Amino acid sequence: MKKFILKRIIGGLLSIIAVVAIVMILIYSLMDRQLIFQSDSLYMKKLSNEKTLYMYTKWEEYGYVDLVNYSDYMMALLRDGTITEEEFNSTNYPRNGKVTSEKTKEFVQKFKDYYSGKGYVIMELEADMMSSGRKIKTGGAARLFAYRDIPVYQRLLKYFKSIFFSDNIHYVPEEDDIGERKLTFTWNDPIYTVYNEDGTVASKKFSPAILGNGTKHKYLFYFDKQFPYVHQNFLTLNLGKSYAVNSGVDVWETMTMAQGTFYMQELTYPSGLREETADDLHTAVYQKGSLETNLVYSERYTDDYTNTQTAKTGRSKVGYSFIIGILATLLAYSLGLPLGIWMALRKGKLVDKLGTAYNIFILAVPSLAYIFMFKAIGTTVFKLPRVFDMDVNSKLMYILPIVSLALPSVAGLMKWLRRYMVDQMNSDYVKFARSGGLSEGEIFRKHILKNAMIPIIHGIPGSILGALVGAIITERVYSVPGAGNLLTNAIGVYDNGVIVGLTMFYATLSVVGLLLGDILMAVADPRISFDTKER
Amino acid sequence: MIPVKDELMDLSDLGMSEEELFSPVSHDQFDSEKITAPRYSYWKSVFRVFFRNKLNIFALALLAIVIAFAYIYPQVTHYDPMANIMDASAKHLSPKQAIDKFGLSTHTILGTGAAGQSTFDAVWYGSQISLSLAFICAAINMTIGILLGAVWGFSKKVDMFMTMVYQIIANVPGILVMAVMVMLFTAGFWTMVFAMTVTGWLGLAYFIRTQVLIIRDREYNVASRCLGTPILRLTVKNILPFMTSVIMLLLAEEVPSYISYEVFLSYIGFSMGTKTISLGRLIEMTQSSMLVPGWKLEFWSPVILASIITLVLYLVGQNLGDASDPRTHL
Repeated sequence: MKKFILKRIIGGLLSIIAVVAIVMILIYSLMDRQLIFQSDSLYMKKLSNEKTLYMYTKWEEYGYVDLVNYSDYMMALLRDGTITEEEFNSTNYPRNGKVTSEKTKEFVQKFKDYYSGKGYVIMELEADMMSSGRKIKTGGAARLFAYRDIPVYQRLLKYFKSIFFSDNIHYVPEEDDIGERKLTFTWNDPIYTVYNEDGTVASKKFSPAILGNGTKHKYLFYFDKQFPYVHQNFLTLNLGKSYAVNSGVDVWETMTMAQGTFYMQELTYPSGLREETADDLHTAVYQKGSLETNLVYSERYTDDYTNTQTAKTGRSKVGYSFIIGILATLLAYSLGLPLGIWMALRKGKLVDKLGTAYNIFILAVPSLAYIFMFKAIGTTVFKLPRVFDMDVNSKLMYILPIVSLALPSVAGLMKWLRRYMVDQMNSDYVKFARSGGLSEGEIFRKHILKNAMIPIIHGIPGSILGALVGAIITERVYSVPGAGNLLTNAIGVYDNGVIVGLTMFYATLSVVGLLLGDILMAVADPRISFDTKER
Repeated sequence: MIPVKDELMDLSDLGMSEEELFSPVSHDQFDSEKITAPRYSYWKSVFRVFFRNKLNIFALALLAIVIAFAYIYPQVTHYDPMANIMDASAKHLSPKQAIDKFGLSTHTILGTGAAGQSTFDAVWYGSQISLSLAFICAAINMTIGILLGAVWGFSKKVDMFMTMVYQIIANVPGILVMAVMVMLFTAGFWTMVFAMTVTGWLGLAYFIRTQVLIIRDREYNVASRCLGTPILRLTVKNILPFMTSVIMLLLAEEVPSYISYEVFLSYIGFSMGTKTISLGRLIEMTQSSMLVPGWKLEFWSPVILASIITLVLYLVGQNLGDASDPRTHL
């Protein structure tokens, strides 16, 4: 069994890597790079050489190319002490593109040789002059840079290398002076501590937490009131960064970040200031030099851990999708299984015929059509809310999305359970059991149902994990702020980071779902064994 | 069952003389070589079984009407979605208002849409495109899927490789493939066909592969292989005929599924361009009308027509598939 699971995990990992590779080829090599500028207002405003450079900078940001400016190169030289500050200042690339000084010429040549030797393409943009020939057009200054397309294998390697981020006290660069790097454990989370005016502690709350200094996150372990109540930041998932959907935010965070209106609560800032705030202080992340940049920060914080998320009242995208998905799955199984059994028991009778007609309806009619029908019936006959609204705290708005998701799965479950049961009923062992004198109920419960349920059990983990993915149409029709539409939105705005991250997430879910299904099946049915037979 | 004595036939009832009943027949070498069985034609039997069910006749007739209408009606009437765009009084009319305004004709019986265009014309125009898409995609995918699936199931080496490919491709989101195709080529009918077939055959091939695996090692195939029949011939001559009914059932699910998939894709924004108005695109364009009292027909017409088309296609295909199973011919 262990060997089998190990083999499957390795196989699964390989196929996940292959899927990510294919998706990377699809979006980075096949798709037109120019498309990402379609809705970029900044791009429209840029002119001349500046526009070209902007394009390459964006492409670097989106992960298409590796870009090195001449000035970056010189800066690097300055930093490792190859050149002096004076030399650095005197060797700037001239705005008109005419390199006159010998020293600059030498470094320009060095830059070109170094990067063309490494396979980069050298781009030398001549100054874009006005028609008079004396003045440079806006944005037309001469530019020198080198770029290189990042090959797929390198991108893949980089992606998988950084997929797990384990926080440690050496995360903050060594040159930053942040005091003693350490992890501290406390029984009383300082966020909940209330101080008197003279600085003495007025009240404390029992809430264990681990705080770090030198780490990326300030809070590495803490409790709060939000699901799942216990949180850790030691090991975080890094699926890549979003560019357009949720600019600069991690894909995983985009999926799991709370939405809705701000949720205000009274908290104590590190400085001791107690205030009603929407900042979620537990999410504080290190941001270099941020304490000095903002006056408000110095009043509240005592270190550079100032970058916090805000607490919101709603659930996250995945949260909404999962709540709806899991309830729909429960509903589907609790309706589909009894109905399937009923159909099998009354094979050829009215119930069976009605059930079959329903199956045909679900299978043949476009899903969009019947979801709209459910919506029309639900809103007119049952007077249920038509759309989902995060700010209205009504449980009723969940009903229609859940029902719309569950009813189609009921059809599938019904169909298959009936099929398996009818197959079992006709098998020889059932006839034998009957001739052996077992009662019909006994045969049914102990033999037919048990055997027919095995393939159904196989699908359970998959459908539970599938709830995390969300449903595209249902969420659109009822405007649920769920995860189902993330992928389509990301494709719409060419957000490569999100596309790759989501594909990876989906592929992992499907691999894990299948594996868990196999294991569950083996647990439920002792005849199924994945051990290689020793003979 | 052993017949009870009372049930045995009384020969005197037949009204024949003893001689007539028991006269020796001359032995004919030639006649004895004849095999007498009722004449059996496979396809005749298929249709006999198919037409035995009254529902099938009705479904087939409905399908014929729908297809004929979808292909002939747009040819004989000229449909210009922008014809009434300047006429504000022609927009969003109920059938009654439209008939009052334009007179009773096929154009007006379902009212008009957002640009003053005839809803009735629009849905038939759309169903022509949706049907064409479904038929072409099904034809391509079924051909590739069945042929490759048969080879995939037959050869163990191919199986190892293809199963791996399948597991990987199945996890690549279909919408992404779709989006990339639309980016690579401009959105249009043939781009959609390409996008639906570029990976679409894989699922079919996998299904066929499983079916082939089931009958691959039956004795007649083992014998055929021992005699040295090449794999390709073995698959085409030995295995595919065995699977006619399975393939028919598959076809019954495939054709409507492309219409549904196209509706889905259009709804989430991957349509065949602005010029190709399919049923899916019609639904997508009119979905806001669903909420406005009096405009609902614009939205429900394409939805209901799409449902009817897919339902009828499915029913006919399914029952034809059932009928093409020789076991039902008795």
